This record gives sequence, C-alpha cells and structure tokens, in this order.
Amino acid sequence: MIDADVHQESITIERLLPWIEPGIRDYISNSNFTMPGYLFPNPENLVRQEALLDSDAPGSDYELFREQHLDALDVEFAIVNAGALMLAACMPNTQVVAGISEGYNRWLTEEWLPRDARLRGSLMVPSQQPALAAEIIRKYGIHPGVVQVTLTFGSTSGYGQPHYHPIFEAAVETGLRVALHQGAEGSGINAPPATGYPRYFVEYHALAPIAAMAHTTSLICHGVFEKYPELGVVVCEGGILWLPEVLWRLDADWKGLRMEVPWVKRQPSEIILEQMRFTTHPLEQPPDDASLGPMLEAIGGLEDMLMFASGYPRWDSDSPESVRERVPEGWHGAVMGDNARRFYGLPVGSGGAA
Amino acid sequence: MSSDGESVSLALADVPPGSATTVEAFGTTVAVFNIDGTVYAMDNNCPHHQGPLCRGRVGGTLLPSSPYEYRYGLDGRVVTCPWHKWQFDLTSGRAIFDPNVRVPTYATRVEDGAVVITLPSRDGGVGQ
Repeated sequence: MIDADVHQESITIERLLPWIEPGIRDYISNSNFTMPGYLFPNPENLVRQEALLDSDAPGSDYELFREQHLDALDVEFAIVNAGALMLAACMPNTQVVAGISEGYNRWLTEEWLPRDARLRGSLMVPSQQPALAAEIIRKYGIHPGVVQVTLTFGSTSGYGQPHYHPIFEAAVETGLRVALHQGAEGSGINAPPATGYPRYFVEYHALAPIAAMAHTTSLICHGVFEKYPELGVVVCEGGILWLPEVLWRLDADWKGLRMEVPWVKRQPSEIILEQMRFTTHPLEQPPDDASLGPMLEAIGGLEDMLMFASGYPRWDSDSPESVRERVPEGWHGAVMGDNARRFYGLPVGSGGAA
Repeated sequence: MSSDGESVSLALADVPPGSATTVEAFGTTVAVFNIDGTVYAMDNNCPHHQGPLCRGRVGGTLLPSSPYEYRYGLDGRVVTCPWHKWQFDLTSGRAIFDPNVRVPTYATRVEDGAVVITLPSRDGGVGQ
C-alpha cells in the first residue's frame, strides 16, 4: 500500500528554529511573532489521541510513527506533508514564510526523510510570492526524496491565476508533482471560504470540497494544464463525490462557452483524467459502505485518478481496510498503490526500512 | 421548393445573402445558409438538444490558442446554435469543440436562380 498523504505534526515552529536561517530565526525569536492558529479549531483535537506521546507532539516520535503506521499497515511508501506549519501559507510577510518554508524543507530533507526509505517528501513554499516559491522549489526539489510541492486550499485566489504559474513551471522543471491540500482557507490574507466565513469547524470541514472544486476549475479555465502538459496536480482532503458535478458541468458548459477560453482545447474531464489525481482521505461515508462503489464507478476514469491516503495522524484518518470496503474491489490495486506509484514515479517493491 | 428524394431545390431569392431558411427534405429539416452568396446546407437540428441551427448567429470563432490569447478566425464559416451555443463549421458540419461531433451536411449548388441541395454527402459535407 502506498499512502499519498501523511502529516508530520511534531515539527512545530519552536523545533524548526535551528533549521531556519539566522535572520528569520532572529526575527521569529525576538519579535512577538506567533504562528497563525487554526481559524477553525477542531473541538476535540485535530490529531488522533493515540498518536500523541505524553511528552511530545503527535507523530513526533519516529518510532511511534513507524510502529503505529508504516510497519503496522505495511506501508510501501508514504508522502509526507507538513502539519500545522502549513498555516504559514496565510501570512502576509512572505520573507518570513520563505524562511519557515526553507527551514522546513531543510529539516525534511536532512532530518526526516533520511530516517526511513519509505518516506517521500512534499515541499513547503511561500505561495503568496510565487517567484520566491519557484526559487525554493528549484533549490530543494532536486533532493531525491522530494516528490512534490504542497499548496494549501487557502490562497488569495484560484491557483489558475497567472501570478501562480511560476510555481507550476518550477515544479515541472524539477519533476515534482503539485498537491493542493486542505488548510488555511480564510486564514490571514487568504480569501474567505465560499459565501463568507463559516462559524464552526464542522461547517468548514464538511465544505472542504468547495475549495477543491474552485481550484480545479481555476486550473482548467486558465489553461494551466495546456501551458504545462507535464504538470500533475493532486487534490488532498478535498473529497471525491464533487467530481461528477464539476466534470460534467464543466464539460457541458465548455462545449458552448469554449470561445471564452479557447486555450482549453480538450474537454475539461479529459484534462483532469490525464493531469489530476485525488486522494481518498477522508473518503465519503455513505450510510451503507457498499453504496459508494457504484457512485465512484459512475465517474468515468476515476479508477485511474484515485490514490489511497490515510491522513495519519489526523482525527478523520482512514484505515486502508475501511477504504477497501468502500472502493470497488476491482480498483484495489490501482487505488491502493499503482496510481500513486505511477504518479510519483516510485519503484516497484517496498522502499524498506532504513 | 421541389424535391425528388435525392435533391431539393428552392429559389435563391428565398435565401438572400446574410439569411438562413429551412426546407423539409430527406426526411428531416435542412437549414440553408447564404453567406455572401455561398450557400451551405446542414441538418437544422443541433445534435445536442435539437436547437434550430437556422436561427443561429453566423460569424467566426476564437481559434484554439495559447493561454490568454484570443485569436479570431473562420469568419463567416461558423454557426452558433441559438440554444446552448455549440458552434459548427458550416463547411464540414463539425463542432468547433470536437471534430467528431458533426451535423450532417449536404452538397449545394446554385443554378438558374435556384439553390439545389443534394444527397448524399454525409461523409464529406462539402458546402457550396
């Protein structure tokens, strides 16, 4: 099984300080800097209680992560995303965000990835300043363990907008995939979620697909995939069942309205099938598990686009078993490993413990 | 209008330049367009939801391009379905968004003040 999205929650800003360059470290240490908090805090805990160490932040201990997740679930490869540090994507001071991102990328490539051959990393970047983000992608993207760059759902506009294109250009140039991951919507300088701010975490969490829909549509309509035919984008934690709404509606609209976006030369659903992927976590939970399969099967091509992700150690994480129960049986090979292997260019066979 | 099953004709005066009309022929309704003296004929029913193509605007379209580039072309060769705005090349009947989507077209010629529309040309779709 390949796990396309696990989080490293232990690396807080305090622990990251030694990895941050001295100028920004000094600023963070001596100003009244604080990391942005969650705008919508989980009323219990964002992470699984049993993944917490008494003396430490969740998942911080490599041994625990290995035992509880990598070994217990026989993970071949896991794509590591940042934890709460992702919220840096909403801060106005882009130099500081760049400093934090570089610190994280250094920690990721020098400290965390070398611990286990099964780990692959996704970079943090200051998406608020795409040219700077592109520089950072070129600098850290060459590390063999890095396969991706992550952008949060939270942003100042849809990622198709032209000022973001340097990020995609750098990702393609460096051979990295781009993940769009839930987080930071409405925080800091980012645009509010659709129809304005929700009040509760439960609203925010249930409506995650709205951001996924908006970014997907933006990327298509701005011709990002036409401009970068090698680009691959995966949407994480955005849900799946919104896909037919967007695919079918966008296809239908495009047939009559393509003159407005004549650079979109192929039917949007074809572009999505070729250049986008979607992770399962958190996979929709119908009242009856068995009813999800036929709905997924109705989405043409989804078998090749869906990649298992546990979301470990988040509160809404999915076990591989629970996903197998909800996904058509004939898809298991593709969803639980083959699609991710192809997308990330991972070798056959386990990376094996270091 | 006269018809012998293989061809149908109508007075050129009934479809002056810049106009479109329809004739019943070949078991269907055929839209006839006169674009600056050149006459095109195709099925009147849009293959999407059967919108009446004869009532559509004739003009050009935005050609496939690079992002953010608007490149106009095919002026006078494109009819836009009045309903859902699907566009078709009058000369081939092919949809601009996908050449595999086609409206059947018919051969046309003008002789002695009449437009003669003939079967079959569903494979070639040569206007004129």
